[in-house]
Amino acid sequence: MNPENRRINALVNSVKIAIAVAFLIPLVFTLLVSLRPEVEPVTKGNIFFGSEITLDNFERAIAIAPWGLHYLNSIAFVGGTLAVQLITVTGAAYAFARMRFAGRSLLLLILMLQLMIPSGVLLVPNFRMIHTLGLFDTRVALMMPYWGSAFGVLLLRATFREVPIELEEAARIDGANLFQVLRNVYVPNAIPAYLAFSLVSVSAHWNEFLWPFIITRSEEIRPLTVGLNKLIKTTDQGAFYGQLMAGTLIVISPLVLLFLLFQRQFVESFARSGIR
Amino acid sequence: MRISPPRKPLLLSLQPYLLIAPTLLLVLMFNVLPAIRTVNDSLYKPARGLNAAGKPPEFVGFDNFRDIFDPAHYMGARFTRSFRNTIVFALATVGIGVPLGLMLALMLQHPQPLLGLWRFAVFYPALLPLIGAASIWSFIYSDSIGLANAVLKSFGHPGVNWLGDRNLVLMSVIIINIWKQAGYFMIFFLAGLQNIPRDIYEAAALDGAGARQQLTLLTLPLLRRTLLFVIVVAFTFAFQTVEQLQALGEGGPADSANLLLYLIFENISERRNWGYVNAMTLVLIGVVLTFTLSNFLLFEREESDR
Repeated sequence: MNPENRRINALVNSVKIAIAVAFLIPLVFTLLVSLRPEVEPVTKGNIFFGSEITLDNFERAIAIAPWGLHYLNSIAFVGGTLAVQLITVTGAAYAFARMRFAGRSLLLLILMLQLMIPSGVLLVPNFRMIHTLGLFDTRVALMMPYWGSAFGVLLLRATFREVPIELEEAARIDGANLFQVLRNVYVPNAIPAYLAFSLVSVSAHWNEFLWPFIITRSEEIRPLTVGLNKLIKTTDQGAFYGQLMAGTLIVISPLVLLFLLFQRQFVESFARSGIR
Repeated sequence: MRISPPRKPLLLSLQPYLLIAPTLLLVLMFNVLPAIRTVNDSLYKPARGLNAAGKPPEFVGFDNFRDIFDPAHYMGARFTRSFRNTIVFALATVGIGVPLGLMLALMLQHPQPLLGLWRFAVFYPALLPLIGAASIWSFIYSDSIGLANAVLKSFGHPGVNWLGDRNLVLMSVIIINIWKQAGYFMIFFLAGLQNIPRDIYEAAALDGAGARQQLTLLTLPLLRRTLLFVIVVAFTFAFQTVEQLQALGEGGPADSANLLLYLIFENISERRNWGYVNAMTLVLIGVVLTFTLSNFLLFEREESDR
């Protein structure tokens, strides 16, 4: 290694460590503050040493919102969204990948309008659409705008096209119908793409806040993020940060743990989420 | 399908449409029609104090737009400020977050000790719900006990009011967003870097190119497409990331950090403002469409019908 490269290497390493530390500080402090008694956490300096470790903050945070219920609601929201998406996406992806029909390009273009006008900016008209359908404050209202996914269709269409057509032809000769062809030929050959799509979909909807907040009113169906909002609003005045950090950890830990377990898959999936 | 018999039964020729129908219907219901409806609704105005059973909205032409772009109007003042904030927010996120993401990718592209730790450190913020991330930062920014001021005080600075000072609060929000998204941008650059063939570098090294030359003469030019793509994606994102405001003083004192989509959200139950809300939504759709459309024209067209 020549001296120039060695100097660059040393510089890169120090910058890398500095950035990593800076990025981790919020997480580390969230952990620390949540485990310390509720007294002037940082300024007294005993956040690191001296003071005791306690779960008081977690107990108080748990008392504020029905987290178990919110957990189940988030799982139902995310799971129900993904389950329907997988079905709609598979059918449409196959049609666009392997079938010829009049209006194919035009229909694909209409589908892609979703990428150009994301549901996120359509808060108000979609709110009205749900009201018109009489679905306000239902689980279906939460999930429905996400049931059709242009991103998923494009991702799987590209994957299906890589599947050798001979495999389908062989299955057809054996008398397989469309459903069997999809189940036995295309789906098994597209597992990584399905995994990527699922990770992106799950993490996006697990973290969703504005839409669930405006489209539901009943605590019984509201997801975790809305529960966290309640905690934030009750914590606002008193500045009980220990309790707020504990509640935040309750909400964020599943995805962070999932990421720790499946880091490589996450990174690859998110990379695909951009390359359409 | 390549094998097409001369005369298909009706059901078989309908098959592709049946397969597409659910997705297409949902996209029409929740993306296309709502957007069109917004165009129409932005030309109407519900009278003040109108209730659900009251008289129908009145056609007012472009009055809603005139009002929201008029800083002297009560809604115009809020809109113009939030719109300006949104532009600053987007420019800062893209201007700082994207180069930071690129830098992280360059540093973390090769196998190295503790690679998993480094990648976790910079990518985990991308996985947090925005409102959870903001909740964490509300502690960091907290006036008396927050971490940010503790750091400032250790340098002898009296500390600042991160979320209360109207000159600072937008910056505080921008910092969170950069922290949250740099790792996400990094992922795209990592994917882009992977597509550059290794042997180009070997050839360059044989010709005596140092690390710096390899970066400026090879990597960056070859990464241009990815860079362009990430910039467009980052802009599109910036106009939609507003949930953090819910945990950070709801747009700050006098809307000093309010963002357009959050202003829309705040007025969603204010029926008398619905004309304005629709007009603002249309402005937002227009801005986002500009970026997503350029994304489509730059990258998707060649893919769309191979």
